[in-house]
Amino acid sequence: MLFFLLLALFGPALAPYTENNQSSPPREAPSTAYPFGTDYLGRDVFSRVILGARSIFLTAGVGTLIAVVIGTFVGLFIGYQGGLLDEVVGRFIDAFLALPALLVALVILGIIKNVDFAPGSWQAAVADQSVLIVIALVYVPIVARVVRSSTLDIKTREFVQAAQIRGEARLYIIFREIFPSVVPALVVEASLRFSYAIFLVASLGFLGVGASPPTPDWGLMVSENRGGLYQLAPWALNFPALAIAVLVIGVNLMSDGVKRVFQKSG
Amino acid sequence: MSETPGTVLHVANLGISYRVGKQWIRAVREFQIEVKAGQIYGVVGESGSGKSTAATGIMRYLAANGRTEPGSVIELLGQDLAARSARAMQDVWGRCMNMVPQDPAAALNPSIRVGEQVAEIVRRHEKVDRDTARARVVAMLRRVRLADPETIFDRFPHQLSGGMQQRVVIAMALITSPQLLILDEPTTALDVTTEAVILDLVRDLIAAEGAGAVYVTHNLGVVAQLCERVVVMYAGEIMEDAAAADLFARPLHPYTVGLLKSVPRLGQTKREMALQTIPGRPPSLTELPEGCVYAPRCPLAIEICQTKPPLETPAAGRLVRCHRWQEIAAGAVEVAYEDGGGAIASAGLEARSPLLHAAEMTKHFAVSRSLIEVLQGVTPTPVRAVDDVSLHIQKGRTYGLVGESGSGKTTLARMIIGLENPTDGSIDLLGVDLAPTVRTRGREMLAKLQMVFQNPQNSLNPYLTVGQAIRRPLMTLRGMARAEADHEVERLLTAVNLRPEYAARYPGELSGGEKQRVAIARAFASDPALIICDEPVSALDVSVQAAVLNLLARLQEEHDTAYLFIAHDLAVVGYLADYIAVMYLGEIFEVGYGSDLFAPPYHPYTEALVSAIPVADPTHQSERIRLSEDVPSPRNLPTGCRFHTRCPRKIGAICEDEAPPWRDDGDGHYIRCHIPLPELTALQKSLLPDHERDA
Amino acid sequence: MWRFILRRLGFFVFTLLLTSVLIFALTRVLPGDVARVLLGREAGEAEVAALREELGLNQPLHVQYVEWVRDFVTGNWGLTFSRPAQDILQLVGQRALNSARLAAITMLIAVPLSLLLGVIAGLTENRLPDNTISVLTLSVVSLPEFVTGIFLINILALELRLFPASSAVSPSATFEEALPSLWLPALTATLVLLAYITRLTRAGVIEELKRDYVRTATLKGLPYRVVIVKHVLRNALIPTITVIATSTGWLMSGLVVIEFVFSYPGLGRLLTFAIDKRDLPLIQAIVMVTVMVILVANFVADLLYAILNPRISFD
Repeated sequence: MLFFLLLALFGPALAPYTENNQSSPPREAPSTAYPFGTDYLGRDVFSRVILGARSIFLTAGVGTLIAVVIGTFVGLFIGYQGGLLDEVVGRFIDAFLALPALLVALVILGIIKNVDFAPGSWQAAVADQSVLIVIALVYVPIVARVVRSSTLDIKTREFVQAAQIRGEARLYIIFREIFPSVVPALVVEASLRFSYAIFLVASLGFLGVGASPPTPDWGLMVSENRGGLYQLAPWALNFPALAIAVLVIGVNLMSDGVKRVFQKSG
Repeated sequence: MSETPGTVLHVANLGISYRVGKQWIRAVREFQIEVKAGQIYGVVGESGSGKSTAATGIMRYLAANGRTEPGSVIELLGQDLAARSARAMQDVWGRCMNMVPQDPAAALNPSIRVGEQVAEIVRRHEKVDRDTARARVVAMLRRVRLADPETIFDRFPHQLSGGMQQRVVIAMALITSPQLLILDEPTTALDVTTEAVILDLVRDLIAAEGAGAVYVTHNLGVVAQLCERVVVMYAGEIMEDAAAADLFARPLHPYTVGLLKSVPRLGQTKREMALQTIPGRPPSLTELPEGCVYAPRCPLAIEICQTKPPLETPAAGRLVRCHRWQEIAAGAVEVAYEDGGGAIASAGLEARSPLLHAAEMTKHFAVSRSLIEVLQGVTPTPVRAVDDVSLHIQKGRTYGLVGESGSGKTTLARMIIGLENPTDGSIDLLGVDLAPTVRTRGREMLAKLQMVFQNPQNSLNPYLTVGQAIRRPLMTLRGMARAEADHEVERLLTAVNLRPEYAARYPGELSGGEKQRVAIARAFASDPALIICDEPVSALDVSVQAAVLNLLARLQEEHDTAYLFIAHDLAVVGYLADYIAVMYLGEIFEVGYGSDLFAPPYHPYTEALVSAIPVADPTHQSERIRLSEDVPSPRNLPTGCRFHTRCPRKIGAICEDEAPPWRDDGDGHYIRCHIPLPELTALQKSLLPDHERDA
Repeated sequence: MWRFILRRLGFFVFTLLLTSVLIFALTRVLPGDVARVLLGREAGEAEVAALREELGLNQPLHVQYVEWVRDFVTGNWGLTFSRPAQDILQLVGQRALNSARLAAITMLIAVPLSLLLGVIAGLTENRLPDNTISVLTLSVVSLPEFVTGIFLINILALELRLFPASSAVSPSATFEEALPSLWLPALTATLVLLAYITRLTRAGVIEELKRDYVRTATLKGLPYRVVIVKHVLRNALIPTITVIATSTGWLMSGLVVIEFVFSYPGLGRLLTFAIDKRDLPLIQAIVMVTVMVILVANFVADLLYAILNPRISFD
C-alpha cells in the first residue's frame, strides 16, 4: 500500500522515461534498460506502470472521498430527521443499490464518451473527470445507507435525547453528538469503498470507457495490449495486470485491518 | 471422598481463568460448594463477582479462552468432572446436569419449534422414538403450567412471551430428571409478577424432582425467598457461606452486612433512614488488592487486612473469609457504613404549592397500514400507550411512577419532557402552558425540566469529556461564560461526590455508578424545577445503587427540586417517593402517599405487585397473590376495567363492561376499582400474616 | 404473507420504474442531441433532422418516455441502430441465453463451493483453515475480473493448454458446442463470486456461533455435529440466500467484463459492443433486461427468505 502511495507521489521522478516517449524499439522484451519491456508503440512499460499509479490513486481516492463526504451528509440528515424524508430517500437508495455499480458506471460513461461538448465549456470539464464523478455518484447511496443505519442506531441513545431536552440545534446534535460515534463505521466503509473504487477504475479503463489513450491507465494498458498483440509482447499486458492485482490485494488487506481494529475498539 | 450421603455436587478449590491478550485473569479462585438433593443453593454477588463464571465452570462449559485451573475438584454424584473432555461431558450434559440461563429469548433457537427443542434432549439421552418423545414433552410442558401444551409444542420461540419462553427452557432443563440444575439469573429479564410465578414454579418442581440446584443471582430477595443455603461472592472469591436464615439474621462478613443494609426494604422511606452505602467500587480482576480483596472498601479494615484472610469455619455449616469475624460475631465491633448524612430532616409531608399539572395526557402510536387496508380505507386500531392520564407534581416532592414493562410509564415521562408529541393532553408548569415538544419550548422552560436516564452506558456521549457534558447545559441554558461554567462544573462534580479532576475524563474511564453521578450533575446544571428520573438505578449494582439514591435524596433537599421518579422496583420507589402512582396498560389505577401503597386497601394490581416482590428476609412469608396469563396487547385492550383479564379479585360482569370509578379515602389516596374501599380493605387484611394485620 | 409479497412486489415495480427513468434520462436527455450522437460527427444537418423526426425526438420528453415504456412493455423493441440492423428483441434474447448458460455454470460451481468454504472458515475462526481461506478470498475479492481472467488464460490456456484462450463461439452455438469454451470464463466468474459468498457465509457462521442457543444445544449433551448442522447452520445459511441473490448483481456486471475478455457472445459483450457503436436503443434494451433479471432474483430471494425464516411474521 505505502509502496504504491509513494509511487503515486514520486512516480514522475522515478520513471526512466516519460509516459508517451516512443523513442524505444517496440515490443522489446524485459531487459535492464526496460525492466518490464516495451509495448507495441515502443513505450517503456515500467515507466507507464509507475506513472499509472498516480492516476488510479487520484481517481479512486478523490472519487471515494467525494462519495464519503456527500454520503455522510445525506446519511446523517435523513437518519436523524427520519419520517417521510427518510422513507422517500431511503426507497430511492434501496432502488439504486439494486443496480450493480459497474453497470451503471459503464452505461453513463459509455454515453458521455460519445457526446461532444464544446472544448472549454463546463460540460467538457466535467466530462474530463467523468470517471471520478461517476465513482462518487454510484457510491454516495452506499455510503449514505451505512451512515444512515448507524445514525438511526445512535439517535436512540440517551445522550442524544439529553441534548434534545437541552434544546440543542439540529446541526449541533448531528455533528457534535452523533457524528463522532458514526466515524468508526464510516472509516471501515470508506476503506472498503476505496478498494472497490480501484476495482471500478481499472475495470472501466479496461472496457475502454475510462481514461482515453494515450493515458498510462493500467486497465487501458491491459486492454490496448490484448488480442493478437498478446502473443508478441505478453509483458506489456502482464505487468499492468500484476500491478492492479498487487494494489487491490494490498488495499483489501489494509481495509480488513482497519475493520479489525475498529471492531475490537468498538 | 468428602462426600456425605445425599450430596449431589461437591466442588472444592475451583479456579477458573480467562486469557485476555497475553495475561491470564483469575476470575474465580478457591470456590467451593456442596449441594444436596432437593436443596437450592444460592450464589449471590454483584457483576464481576465471578458467580456466573463459577456456575458455568461447574457445568464445565467455558468460553474458548477460559480454563479450569489444575487442582480443581468438581464431583457430580462422586464422579470427577474436572478433568473430563468436552466430548466426555456430552453424556453428563442434558442427562445429569442442566442449565437454565438468564435470557430465554436468546437461549432458544429462533428457527426450530420449541417442542422439538425440548424433544431432542429426550431423544438424545433416553433413546426413545419421536412419538414417545412428543408425548413426554407435552406432559412436561403441562407440568411447567403452560396452557395448551399441544399447541405450544409447534410454536416458534418468537411467538411466545418472555414468561412462556422461560417455562419452555425450564421444561427443557427438567425433562430428563437431572440430579443437578444450574440456574443463572433465570428471572432477571422478566417482570416482577412473571418472576414471582416462575420462582414458585422453580421451587415446586425442584422439590418434586428432588434435584440439587445452584441458583445464581444478584437479588438478595430471591435468595431469601428461594434458597436453603447461600454463598456470597466478591471479586472471584467466597466471602461468606451459610444457611439462608443464619446469613440474613447474623451476617459475619462486612460485605454481606453492607449488601443487606444498602437495599431499601419494602415500605422503608428516606424520612426514616438513609441507606448505608459501600464506598468505592469492586476491584478490577487484573489488579486485585494484595491482602483481603474487600479491604479497600471495608469500614473495618485494619493493618492485618493487608494479608490474605483464610476461609474459616466459625460454626458448623458456615464459612467466612475475614480477619475480624470473631469481633463481628461477638458484637465487639459494628459494621457501620456511611449513610450519606442520615435521614432526610424535613419529615413533614404537608402539601406544597403545585409545580406541574399534566392533564388528560394521551399517546396513541399509529400502526402502519398495509396496502390492502389503505385501499379498503381501514384504519387499524392504534397502540394506546398512554390513555387519558393526569398527574399533579408539587414543588420539591418526589412523584413515583411504578408499573411493569408496557405500562406506558416511560411514554408518559417522555411526553412531559417533550421528547414525544402527545396525541392529546396539556401540561401546565408553574401556571404556564407548556408547548408539546422540546423543539417548540423556550429556553426558560427547557431549563426547568431535566431528565436522568436509565442506562448510564448510553446517557453520556463517549466522545465528550465529563466536563464538556456538564458545561454544555450551563452555557446554553444558563447563559454562562466559559470560565464561569468551568468553575460551576467543579462545584457540581463535588456535589455529586466526584473529584473535580473527573472533568477531564471520558465516560469510558468511569464505572456505571460514576457515570450516573455525572448524568445527575448534568441534569442539575440548569437548576431545574423538575427532574424526570427514568429507572435511574435499575442498571446499577446494589452496592452502588444505594449511594445514588442517597445522592438524589440529598440533592432534592438542597435544591428543592421535584422528581418524577419512574421505576419497576416498588421498594426503590417507595423509599424515595412522597406520592406514588401505579400504571397498568396506559392508565393509572392507584395514587396515594408513598406509605399508602404497602398496606391495604390497595388496588388488586398493586396488591399483586407488592406480594410478588421477593423480600430480603427468609422469615417473611408473602401472601402469594399471583397473576394469571400475560399482559394483553396494547393494540387490543380489554373492555371495562383493563385489569379484569388478570384480576384475582374480579367481581363479575361489571368489571368486563364498565370502566371502574375512582374511589377516594378522603385523605389523598385514590383507587380505581369496582370494589368499594372498605370491602377491599377487609378482603386484603384477611390475607396478611397475623402480626402485620394491625399495622 | 400476502402483505409481505405485495410489499416486495411494490418495491420491485418501483425500482423498475426508477431504473427506466434513469435509463431514459441517460440515453435520451444526457446526450443532448440523440440523433447527432447516433449519426456521428460527420452526418449532415438534414440527415440528423430527419432522424430526429423519425425517432419522435421533437415531442415533449414525457410523451417520449411514455411511448418508450409502452414499446418496451409490448415487446416492440425495434431494430438495432448499428448496421446490419437486427431485431433487438431477438438479438437480446439470443445473447441473454448465452449469458444464462455462463451464469448457470458459474452458479453451479460457485455456490456450493463457497458455502462449504465459508462454513469451514467460520467453524475454524482464526485457526489455520480459516486463515488460509480468508487470506485467499480477501485477495480475490474485488480483483477486477479481467485481471483474474488474464492470469487464468496465462496459466490454464497458454501454459497448460487445458482450455481455449478465446471463447468466441458462434452466437447461435448450441450448449454442447459452446461448453468447452465456457469453462474458462465460468472459472473466472466463479473466483470473484466465491470470494464474495465465502466471506459473507463465514461472517454468518461466526455470528451464529456466538449466540446463546448454541450453548443451550451443547449443554443438552448433543454431539458437536448435531449442534452445528441442526442448530447453527440452519440459522447461518438462511441469510446466505439473500447473499446469493445479491451476487447475481455482481455476476451480471462481472459478465460484462468477462465476456469482453473472452470474446464470448453474451449479453455483456453485446452491451460493450452497443456502447462502442453508440447504439442507444440497444443499450436501453440490454440494461432493462439486466436490471429485470437482478430484480427478479432479489424478489425470489426475499420470498424464499420469508418462507424459510419463521421469525418473519406475515401479519
